Amino acid sequence: MAKLESYTPTPGARAGRIVLTVLPFVMGLACVLLSFVPVGRIFGTAVMPAFGLMAIYYWAVVRPEMFPVYAAFLVGLLSDLLSGGPIGLWAFAYVLTYIIVLTQRFLAMNAPFSVFWFGFLLAAIFAGFVGWGAASLFYGAFLPIGPIAWHLFVTVALFPLFALIFGRIERRILPSG
Amino acid sequence: MLTLAAALLLLGRAETYVFDQARQIVTDMTAPLLEIASRPVAAARRVVERTDEYAYVFDENERLRAENARLLAWKEAALKLESKLARYEALLNVQIDPTIKYVSGRVVSDNGGPFVDTVIVNVGRAAGAKSGDGVIDTDGLVGRIVATGEKASRILLLTDLNSRIPVVVEPAHYKAVLAGDNTDWPKLEYLTSLSSVSPGDRVVTSGDGGLLPPGIPVGLVIQTSDGFLRVQTFADRDRLDFVRILKYEFPTQVDRQDPPAALLGPPVEPKPVERVKPAATIPGAPKPATPALADAAPAPATPAKPARVVKKPETKPAPQPQVLPPDSAPSAATMQPVPDAEEQVPPPEEDVVPGTQDTPGTE
Repeated sequence: MAKLESYTPTPGARAGRIVLTVLPFVMGLACVLLSFVPVGRIFGTAVMPAFGLMAIYYWAVVRPEMFPVYAAFLVGLLSDLLSGGPIGLWAFAYVLTYIIVLTQRFLAMNAPFSVFWFGFLLAAIFAGFVGWGAASLFYGAFLPIGPIAWHLFVTVALFPLFALIFGRIERRILPSG
Repeated sequence: MLTLAAALLLLGRAETYVFDQARQIVTDMTAPLLEIASRPVAAARRVVERTDEYAYVFDENERLRAENARLLAWKEAALKLESKLARYEALLNVQIDPTIKYVSGRVVSDNGGPFVDTVIVNVGRAAGAKSGDGVIDTDGLVGRIVATGEKASRILLLTDLNSRIPVVVEPAHYKAVLAGDNTDWPKLEYLTSLSSVSPGDRVVTSGDGGLLPPGIPVGLVIQTSDGFLRVQTFADRDRLDFVRILKYEFPTQVDRQDPPAALLGPPVEPKPVERVKPAATIPGAPKPATPALADAAPAPATPAKPARVVKKPETKPAPQPQVLPPDSAPSAATMQPVPDAEEQVPPPEEDVVPGTQDTPGTE
């Protein structure tokens, strides 16, 4: 998380500052919870996007100082605990993806949105491949590609909407970095 | 962090108890949040479905009328078969499963990502759910519970990679294991005779292992392009909402089944009056039409009556049509011991009266 200033005028202001500092992480956790709400059943499908991955990618590119690597780990761990799958699977995939994105963030930082979106497509494919490989190793069998491909497709397709929401929050609420 | 995540992955393979506990605590904590969040989703889905129904209400009405006419004919056939089956079960002294109780709940979560097919239901230990219980919805078997917390439980769906359910393929009655593989159609494994099973056959639970009751509908056999026999499940995992958790106990101690007294034939013609010993003689009182039950002859021939029916059930119909006419036989639920035989034959227990067992979801 970002370092707090040593002095703020009032305790209330300081508390507000803390809330704003942890806001990206809280949004990451909220995204994981959202991905378990059966919204897809409104449209007759059980496929839900990886909202947590969207949050990790966005904040890793835009504000990495407010979304450190252990935030990505905890987001992945919560996803594992709620999913009923192997514990550590998404934590591993998300942390690895976060590290890769962090090293390449300068490519997408001030680029047009299409480049930013394409970067997310690559990050999603990478995370999906890592997750699929780890799960296949864990279960000792090649898992079918179809469900993960469909999952990633929905995730990438919905990313612009969430990037818009994250951008609004970042510009309006969070202090300029 | 990367090392920690990898270590968790490896540890989770070796030590499952701690992780299962952690998982259940988190599930219990988040279940109320998910339930609140899923309510507007359920409402929105109902609106969408209702709108869809309004668009096709005329066609649906026509379809339902035709189906209703067809089902009424089936109902008559089913009632006759039910009474006949109850009669045969009684004659053969079949041990019938006791009543299955259940508790209803609502699915509050999505199925958990691309590598697992589990959902969370808002029924936990407090409501009586326990690990291993079968779960059905209005269409058929959904899966079984694999972990329970105080307020929420996790259901392993039939399509999950770890799901294995013993089933029977009807009508050939071949046993198999329904194995999920994370696709929409679980596979039929360990099927002894592939040639005897064809697409369209019905698959129901076999009850082997004692976890699930037998006869719960699961789905229909389909053949995929890769040559495997798979099952299209009746329950739609994309539209799971309210489910029933079966609190089934394997019937280890079933009470003895005696044939219902209705099948024992007419009461034996009483011997005359010298065996009747009224307690007090009232001058002018009318004679009783039948002797007192306690003094009636013990009717040694009565068990032979059902045996005679078993030997030639088709060629020689039951010789006591006044007791149980074959065509207008009473339903199994009404088969109660006749009063004359109450003293001779112990009345059957309430739970094991033929035909009264409740098998939810059975079509």
